[in-house]
Amino acid sequence: MLELRQLCKHFGGVRAVDQVSLRVAKGEIFGLIGPNGSGKSTTVNLIAGLLLPTSGRIVLDGEDISSLATHQRVARGIARTFQNIRLFGQLTVWQNLWVAENRDRQQRAQPVMPRWFWGCEGDRERLGIALEFSGLAHKRDDLAANLSFGEQRRLELARALASQPKLLLLDEPAAGMNAQEIEELDARIRRIRDAGVTVLLIEHHMELVMAVTDRIGVLNFGQKIAEGSPAMVQNDAKVREAYLGTAAA
Amino acid sequence: MDDYLVSVLSNIGIISFVALSAYVLLLAGEVSFGQQAFFALGAYAAGIATAMLRWPLALALCLGVLVGALAAAAVGRATLRLSGLYFAMATLAFAEMMRIGFELFTWQVDVGGSLVGPNGPDGFGDIRYLFENEITPAQYMLVVYGLLAVVLAALLVLDRSRWGRVLRQAGADPVLAELQGIRVVRVRLVAAAAAGALAGLGGGLYAHLLTYVEPRNFDIMLGVHSLAYGLIGGLGTAFGPVLGVLIDIGLLESSRLFQGYRMIAFGGLVAVLLIARPRGLLDERAVHWISSRAKGLFDALAARRLDHPFRRR
Repeated sequence: MLELRQLCKHFGGVRAVDQVSLRVAKGEIFGLIGPNGSGKSTTVNLIAGLLLPTSGRIVLDGEDISSLATHQRVARGIARTFQNIRLFGQLTVWQNLWVAENRDRQQRAQPVMPRWFWGCEGDRERLGIALEFSGLAHKRDDLAANLSFGEQRRLELARALASQPKLLLLDEPAAGMNAQEIEELDARIRRIRDAGVTVLLIEHHMELVMAVTDRIGVLNFGQKIAEGSPAMVQNDAKVREAYLGTAAA
Repeated sequence: MDDYLVSVLSNIGIISFVALSAYVLLLAGEVSFGQQAFFALGAYAAGIATAMLRWPLALALCLGVLVGALAAAAVGRATLRLSGLYFAMATLAFAEMMRIGFELFTWQVDVGGSLVGPNGPDGFGDIRYLFENEITPAQYMLVVYGLLAVVLAALLVLDRSRWGRVLRQAGADPVLAELQGIRVVRVRLVAAAAAGALAGLGGGLYAHLLTYVEPRNFDIMLGVHSLAYGLIGGLGTAFGPVLGVLIDIGLLESSRLFQGYRMIAFGGLVAVLLIARPRGLLDERAVHWISSRAKGLFDALAARRLDHPFRRR
């Protein structure tokens, strides 16, 4: 469903992403790993449209989206979370979830008052599900800034889901979490996949990545050095070299 | 009510429109030092309409709104892709350009034997609609506050609507807003036009209150003040900027307490608030606290009424 074709992003002389080609199949959890500075976050930013590629193509469901604006990509079903949590702190939990644009025509045909003031039927239902999923229903009217760290992470995930994405980009969702929270996160990611959303997971926490992903791509210095099942990647010589360095001869 | 009080209150009401104008842009995440330009455009347009073209006041005010909105939309189209400091500079440059433009602008017609109309740096006098139609200052004050009430009500309703949320989202974090599917530049353009309309309305009222305006009235100090009102009073609700105007004009300018020290007290207040409460007295937190308390109280009252033994369910 998502395909990167020889994707490049150069910042001056730095090749942050260099000739990366990937295919993410519909309904899978695809892990993107690599040492610090290997170009993972840049790749996510390219897919979400926060950066435009230097060269190469990003194809979603057969459509070239490389040069579309961010909001247009959202409309085509891409959502993301951030490594360092990004929420509207001065808005309530509910307002954070309420996604702006009415995407489909059906919603646009609904009467103006509910659409502008309390949300139309489908919207409210959808947000209710996202709220339930985040486990924050009892804090619906609290300001996002007043939530705890773990709650903010959950809200961010729910916010990304509220736009009903086909493809969800998770940028280090486990950062700063303890073992139990990571276990919950694992279950959440599987539930998202089971709901039919394709997940692209960037993560440093290897236990989580190895447990939850179907396939993994490994980046190093902006280049893809391996792709395959968790077991295959773990035994790949290049990957071991990238993470552990070469053995002294 | 004595005349001084009426004039102070009218002034507070009218300046509130410029303050609200700057506030709308602040919500959209843009700092404008140039809202006085649209205030000036509204003042001149409405003044020309009644004094020279002999239009009725209501129509003249509408013209002020229209001119303000169109000018702001045009300026916005050119500048809104800038952000932060660059946008602030562009708006300031535009406002100064307009002020100097009005110094060069002369267009007078013969009305009942005397020349009336904008006369360059000498200003635009004889906007005598209120006298000619025997509207007393107190009645005019009611007009000002009637319009202000309508504007405030509209802003409060908008704040609870999707539009208000979209506006605040675009202002708080434009990148995240884009990721929510919001077209931030478009939202800001609409906000700029609305802000221009508000300033234009205020300008029209201002010209008729004073009967005489000159380009000097619309210098940068007005812009800085109108920006500061929102930051003092708070960005959590449309009452915030009005509170700011009330504090500055009502307390600092018009009472004898701070005579001669107004600017010192004002500057100090802004400096202290920017450190202690960067989003003003009535910021989002305060407003959220107040409204959740009010809701709790209301719910409690409603519950008690339902539990009343003599009340049929």
